This record gives sequence, structure tokens and C-alpha cells, in this order.
Amino acid sequence: MSGTRVRRSAASAISLRSVSKGYGPVRAVRDLSLEVRPGETVALLGHNGAGKSTTVAMLLGLVGPDTGRALVCGHDPARAVQDGLIAAMLQDAGMMPGVRVAELVGLAHRAYPSPLPVARALELAGLTEVASRRVDRLSGGQAQRLRFAVAVVADPEIVVLDEPTRALDVRGRAEFWEAMRAYAASGRTLLFATHYLDEVDENAGRVVVMAKGRVIADGTPAEIRGRVGGGTVRFSCDAGHGAFAALPGVTGVEVRGERVLLRTADADVTVRALAAGVLPWRDLRVTPASLDESFLMLTEEAS
Amino acid sequence: MTWYFLRLEIVRALRDPRYLALAVATPIGFYLLFATLFGGAPVRPGELRGTVEIMVAMAAYGAIWAVLSTTGPRIAQEREIGWLEQLRAMPVRAWQVLAAKLVAGGAMALPAICSVCLVAALAKGVRLGPGQWAGLVVAMWLGTAAFAALGVAIGYAVNADASYVVCYGLYMVTSAVGGLWVPPGMLPESFRSVSGWLPSNRLADLGWQIAGGHPALWPAIGVLAAWTAGLAVVAVLIYRRPRLRRSRPPGGTAHLNGQNEEARAGEARAGRAGARTAVRADG
Repeated sequence: MSGTRVRRSAASAISLRSVSKGYGPVRAVRDLSLEVRPGETVALLGHNGAGKSTTVAMLLGLVGPDTGRALVCGHDPARAVQDGLIAAMLQDAGMMPGVRVAELVGLAHRAYPSPLPVARALELAGLTEVASRRVDRLSGGQAQRLRFAVAVVADPEIVVLDEPTRALDVRGRAEFWEAMRAYAASGRTLLFATHYLDEVDENAGRVVVMAKGRVIADGTPAEIRGRVGGGTVRFSCDAGHGAFAALPGVTGVEVRGERVLLRTADADVTVRALAAGVLPWRDLRVTPASLDESFLMLTEEAS
Repeated sequence: MTWYFLRLEIVRALRDPRYLALAVATPIGFYLLFATLFGGAPVRPGELRGTVEIMVAMAAYGAIWAVLSTTGPRIAQEREIGWLEQLRAMPVRAWQVLAAKLVAGGAMALPAICSVCLVAALAKGVRLGPGQWAGLVVAMWLGTAAFAALGVAIGYAVNADASYVVCYGLYMVTSAVGGLWVPPGMLPESFRSVSGWLPSNRLADLGWQIAGGHPALWPAIGVLAAWTAGLAVVAVLIYRRPRLRRSRPPGGTAHLNGQNEEARAGEARAGRAGARTAVRADG
């Protein structure tokens, strides 16, 4: 079955071509273009209001772009939803109260044209043990995985998750991503919007950074870090503090007692200069820029 | 899929203790009380026995709440928690959602009507012909359609907390003025002039006419049909209001943030931290 479905899908799983969408005076998405190939795991990263949810809504046909074109597996988004090619877990989407977990997944199972068995969807979401629990009596993590089950039961080419781990504790997030990685390993396309950066580093093959309705960076997590470059150089030194700021590449200096922290645009250059110098430093440590720092710098540049 | 959806809607209403308490148990309790107090022979010729008249009134009383509570507050709640939005992102048509709600609401009236009739027959010795019983139950059941339309309109018009209050308020007022608590003949003159135009009164009138043996059903059918049609139009208009079509505009606007805060406040009221699916006003 999966063979025919792959042939059916177009070259791009997701294709947004110069789409724009505004709500009254607010321009939520501006001239956004994005191509996602089948099998990619893409993180859509951005602050609140960056346009992530509007982008997701356009992919599901919930809102139409004012200009531009959105295609999902080569089809109009609404058609792709009807055909079960794309299924989504919306941000904060509530679930029908008063029914049991298996009943709700069963409802979604019946809505889609070529679904997974309910038991399989529950298994993928790690919900088999709570299948007969009422949906309003689930923990936060279980409720979030139920939303995933409701999407994944469609057996879609593309799963879209809008801030899937918001309001989850550490354990809930770990469990959620465990289920998600297992699913992505089956070759399906996964697009998730988030502002948790550690999740991006561990779970996405590609990061699309959005700010003010535009894509401002697009690449692997390592490339995004690389685009900002640099890192921090830490060491202990009890003399010559005045000289650090003048080292090549250094953009910032913090000194606490004898511990020195240098922010640098190019760690290699800075370390070479340190090594060639005469300062009595020891305990040298170099850390690459975190995705957090890269993200902040990128979004600050954009604003 | 539509059938399964309908089944879930009915199942969850039956699991809700408030449904059984307010739509089934309360009318039975009132029936036993009123029928014991006022259940004597008819005062004037042509009138119904008190046990029969009150049976019909309480069947209508229970049926109205069964229908209103399974449409209005539920739709409002599902709009608020985002379940209806999630359905829009699935291959589920808007008409399927609405049809399931309407039919489920209607279905919930049946146990309310039947249980009062059963108690009347068993506890108060009410005897009607088989055709009368069947006609009374079916006619009153179909007559609740007006309230289903009213519930849908309220559900799409106001939020979950308000919808419960509005539904309950309208329920109480139409029941009182419609002569479900006191026979219409004993109502003050000012009430009596309004009473016959109310769907609550005419719903009971269907039952009273059939139980009386020489039914004149057309006035009741006419008034109920007019209410049903009118309220259905109102419901469609409210449903189509642009701001409700996009009741949860996706992220990135100040409007949205406001709504999220509203939803969070609602959650806090529900007193169940972390559960977006908390049941609040699901009657």
C-alpha cells in the first residue's frame, strides 16, 4: 500500500509559493516560499506571532492565502486533507469531551479514506494502555499523544504538528518525541512548529526559521548554528585581562575572578591567537554557539 | 463515519450524570410530586385527568432540557476548546458535525419522554390506547426540533459558560410561561396570552391533544414548525457570521493572543490544570 502512495505523491510533499496572508492590518505571512521533500523532518521555528500557525493553517486549507499558492503532495490543501495525504495536530486543539481514547481515534479512523488500524495508531502514539480512558482524564503528555494518534491514524504522507509539546513536562516531552522519531523513521514527512530549540536540535533534519511572516534562515541545525558562527571560549587566567577584548574575533568579554569568558565570531581564530600569545591561561574550553544563541541573533537581525 | 459520530455524541451524553439528573430524574420527581398533589379527576368535562396532564407537561419539561443541554453548551464548549477547529482540519464536513449534534440532541429527548410516561403508567395508573402512547411519544419527540435549532443557535452565539446560563434561563422561562409547571388554565391572564405562542406550550399541547382522544394537532404543529424554521434560519445566520467561521484565527495576531488568554482563564475556572479537554458546561 505504501508503494502506491509514494508513487502518487508529487516531487514536493509541501510547496508554498510566495504565499501571503493578512488578518486585517496584521500581515501574518509575507511572500513565503517553502519546498519540503517527502521524508524530511522539518522544524518551523519562530517566536509567537512569527507566522508559524498561519502557515500550518494554510497547509491544511483552514485559511486560504491572499496571494500565492499552497500545494500539498501536488494537490490543493483541502483536497489533500480529504484524501488523507496530510493530517495535523493543531495547537491546543481540544478533543471531544466525554469519549474514550479508542473511540476518538476510531472516529478519526472512520473519517479518513485509507487509515491505519486503530490499535496501530494507539501503539504508535504509546496509548495502548490508556485506550479505554476518557479523553478528559488524560495527563498532559497523554492528551498530546492522543492528538498525534488522531492525526497518524490517517496514515498520511505528511504529519503536521503545531507546537506539539507546549505545556508538557520534561518526561512528557521525551515520551512524545520518542513516539515521533519512531514515526519519522518510517519515511513519512514531519513538519512541526515549535519554539523549543533543544527539540529542534534532536529531532529535525532541517530548520526553517521564521520571523515576521518570512523565512529568515533555512538549513540543518548545524548550518543554522554555522550561519551565526562563533561560539564561546572559556579559560582561567589571572593576568592581562585588559588584552582579551583586543584578540581577533572577540565580540564580548566576561571576567569573574580568574574565570574568563570570551564571545567570539570565529573560535578558531581566537584560540590560535591565544595559543600564540604569552598570557598564562589554562583550562581552555571552546563551546560552539548554541542554537538558542543563533536563533536569537537571527531573529534580532530580522527585526 | 456519520453514524459513528452520532453514536459517540449519544454515548457521551448518556455518560454525563447531569443529563440523567436534570433531563430524566428531575421530571420524574416533579411528576410524582405534582401528580400526587393535583392528580385528581378533571374539574370540567373534557379536561384531562391531572395524572395525564402533568405526565405530558413533565415529559415536555424533560425533553426540552435534554435537547437544549446536548446542543447549546456542548457546541459552545467544543468551539472554545478547539475541537470543532480540529474537525475542520480533518475530512469531516460541517454538515456532518451539525447533523450529528442535531440528531443526537433529538435522540436524547426520547429517554426523557419515555421515562416519565413509564412512571405515569406504573406508579399512577395512567392508561392510554397503544396508538395514543405511540402517537404521543413520537409527536412530542419530533416536536423538540425547535429546541434543537435554538440550542445550536445559542452554541454558536456565545461562549460555554454563557451558553449554559442562557439555555437554562430560556428553559425555565419557557417552561413556566408555557404552562408546564402549572396548567395553562391556571396561569395569569398575561401569561396565558403568550403561552399558546411558545414552543414549550405547543410541545406539551401535542401530547395533551393526543391523550385527550380527539386531537386537534394543527395549531400545535403550525406554531412548532414556525419556531423550528425561524430558529433554524437564525442558527444558520449565526453559524455563518464571519468571525465565528474563523473563531480561532491561527497564530500571530493580537486578537489570537487575547483569545488564548480567554481560553486559559476558562481552564483555570475549570480547575483542572493542564487538561485542555476539561469538561465544563457540558450538560
